[in-house]
Amino acid sequence: MGLIQRAIEKAGIPTIGISIVRQYTEQVRPPRSVYLHWPFGHPLGEPGNVRQQRAVLFEAFKALYTISTPGEIVDLSFSWRRFDYTNYREPKKIPFGGE
Amino acid sequence: MSAWNRLKNRLIAMLATRHPALAERLVAGYHPEPSAGAIPWAPPGKPLGACKVAVVTTAGVHHAGQQPFDMVDRNGDPSFRELDGVTIGSDFRITHDYYDHGDAERDLNIVLPLQRLEELRREGIIGGLARFHYSFMGHISGPHLATLTGKHAPEVADRLRGADVDLVLLTPA
Repeated sequence: MGLIQRAIEKAGIPTIGISIVRQYTEQVRPPRSVYLHWPFGHPLGEPGNVRQQRAVLFEAFKALYTISTPGEIVDLSFSWRRFDYTNYREPKKIPFGGE
Repeated sequence: MSAWNRLKNRLIAMLATRHPALAERLVAGYHPEPSAGAIPWAPPGKPLGACKVAVVTTAGVHHAGQQPFDMVDRNGDPSFRELDGVTIGSDFRITHDYYDHGDAERDLNIVLPLQRLEELRREGIIGGLARFHYSFMGHISGPHLATLTGKHAPEVADRLRGADVDLVLLTPA
């Protein structure tokens, strides 16, 4: 996946990737990633868990605007089946940061 | 024999999804080629609320009427499928023997979060959602890596640029 991400960024489109296997991402070095220590096949979480899926999207977009070093991987703190997403506060607006 | 190989791959994928220790052993046994040279870098030029977003997944999703990914070739299938965001939720298939996609079949959003992104678009969090999204299967190796990076991935990048996409989210399986 990281190779495809690199090709899209190379064409001039900013990208953010979700990583499930940190060591692969470290080798392939896509521009920006958020890492989740979650099982295969579940990059956005569990079926029907809307708050969880939204939380991953918000954190991915935040990382897209805040990562300033190419190749950086942000480790998300959502532990699998333990994190309570009612405690996650969704940002109202993703800042224009990163500059 | 290929039917047996596919069955074996699916069984391993199912066990690896349920047993993290096995998944970690499988992961440790594979070493992707490290990327050489500078990391491509295109910083976002607009706030998220003004950006058109597209998704590229390697989860093996395709429309029912499209050719499934090749599961017989041991080096994987480096081609892609173009997904229509309006209809994919009602006619999708997942062809990918290297992960257990039972949960993704129950809720496609866990690999292709188009309903969630549509909600964010209506809420004004993102500026727009692209009509077309792109799907690959992961698990590509050997000679197909060069086909992926030299041909199919740049083709998808061109199509995304042609559709005025501002940001791309990539999801693995």
